Amino acid sequence: MSGRPVSQIIEEGAARYGRNQEAVLRILTDVDRELGSVSEEAMAAIAKCCRVSSAEVQSVATFYSFISTKPRGRHLVRLCRTISCSMKGSAGILAALEKDLGIAAGQTTPDGRITLETTSCIGLCDQSPAMLVDDTPHSRLTPEMACEIVRGLK
Amino acid sequence: MKKEVLLSANQPELGSALRKAASMTSADVAFEVRNAKLQGRGGAGFPAGVKWVLAGGASGAQKYVVCNADEGEPGTFKDRILIEKYADRLLEGMAIAGYAIGADTGLIYLRAEYPYLVPVIEEAASRLRQAGLLGRGIMGGKFSFDVEIRKGAGAYVCGEETALLESMEGRRGEPRNKPPYPVNSGFRGCPTIINNVETFIAVPHIILNGADWFLALGEGGDSGTKLFSISGDVERPGVYELAMGSKIGDLLDLAGAVDVQAVQVGGASGKTIPGSDRDRVLSFRDLPPGGSVIVFDGSRDMLGVLENFMEFFVHESCGQCTPCREGNSRLLDAVHAIRAGSLSGREALAPYLDLAETMKQGSKCGFGQTSSNCFVDIVNRFVLKADGQGGN
Repeated sequence: MSGRPVSQIIEEGAARYGRNQEAVLRILTDVDRELGSVSEEAMAAIAKCCRVSSAEVQSVATFYSFISTKPRGRHLVRLCRTISCSMKGSAGILAALEKDLGIAAGQTTPDGRITLETTSCIGLCDQSPAMLVDDTPHSRLTPEMACEIVRGLK
Repeated sequence: MKKEVLLSANQPELGSALRKAASMTSADVAFEVRNAKLQGRGGAGFPAGVKWVLAGGASGAQKYVVCNADEGEPGTFKDRILIEKYADRLLEGMAIAGYAIGADTGLIYLRAEYPYLVPVIEEAASRLRQAGLLGRGIMGGKFSFDVEIRKGAGAYVCGEETALLESMEGRRGEPRNKPPYPVNSGFRGCPTIINNVETFIAVPHIILNGADWFLALGEGGDSGTKLFSISGDVERPGVYELAMGSKIGDLLDLAGAVDVQAVQVGGASGKTIPGSDRDRVLSFRDLPPGGSVIVFDGSRDMLGVLENFMEFFVHESCGQCTPCREGNSRLLDAVHAIRAGSLSGREALAPYLDLAETMKQGSKCGFGQTSSNCFVDIVNRFVLKADGQGGN
């Protein structure tokens, strides 16, 4: 996560993508990726910049699983819960991560370090069970390995 | 039968297919793909060449080539492997498509779950630009074509081509009413073709070797080869390329599947068959092959499998039309009731099987039209069968 002000990210996006509906999802994605989530204020600013209503921006933001309107931690752990990973023990990995981090799926550690989420199929079924940590895939996990990887995140 | 073309170790020289295409008329390139009977490799099976011919003939100065790289069907990962290894070939196939329909812009809609493939595609695009195979005045001629990546944001339904267009236009990924079809009114209202990664990668091979060669690759009247991502209870999960029209038993043997209780072909929205049906055919004539094959051995609780799939569909339904939004939730409720023992027997389950049919008939897009398949198959073939009320 960068400490850049949201207005700067939005302006940079608008300069690249334009100031219209088409830019809405691209700017939302940029803000979400850089700041971990998209706040009410950010959505209002995107609406103004792209010349659409803030209801429209909110409707787009809440449609997509990878965009969060709730603040998230510095690192995002997404564990696949779909069938091939579930058959190879994703439930045990989730339980281990929840215990290790002291939070449930969908929550963020109190120190703001990790947000733990479950996700639909991430296309790593040949190496299941798998998870995405920020942009990096980790596969053929065991509960111990998953906890080790997450403990190593600053 | 195993037959490697797309995954062959002997790949044609990069650019040779584009060079050959550029020596043909645009219409002839589209006709060649149509004559090869290349059916959409994402799983819907619509003839790609028909889209090309229609978009090529559609009126409009601006046209678009879109690559659907939003593979989200549970158990599918063939496009990830293809992009990792053959991004060059993908871009060449898209450029050939651009030449065929008269488009100068290609867009790759890449699922958000594959952020690590962005640099892979960008590096391939740089290589092609340096080789004069992308950009302005390709190979010194008048044809210009370039590509850009558009990232998805985590929505299974965006693999539906009109939902994908909505998403690329910055909106919620809700499927459009059809007609108009994208070949007439697609991205930004312009004529657009949308094809799967594997479809585009097959194109250079078709152009170089001809439609007849591609037709002859298939078995039993099918054309070409098909990639399958196989996972679940197999010794060697991974991607295998077989002749289209091959028997499912051949694929199971390649991947090392033993004690097979059930096989799901085409992902959660595909068909689920008993493991003993080894002669069923991987073809749009029988088991429509999107790319996913998931194997369940004798130890698996098929009701648990069904529960996982229905949870997936409830989460991923875009919520726009009622049969899909409400139907999937009701079917998940039914699974819970079966599990709790409060719902059993053919008579009690009949209303849910009716609802599954209503969803198939009444949903707006392919999502709701196929999401009840796994419920019908697993309830009929595994749940009622265990009850001693075996279905068809």
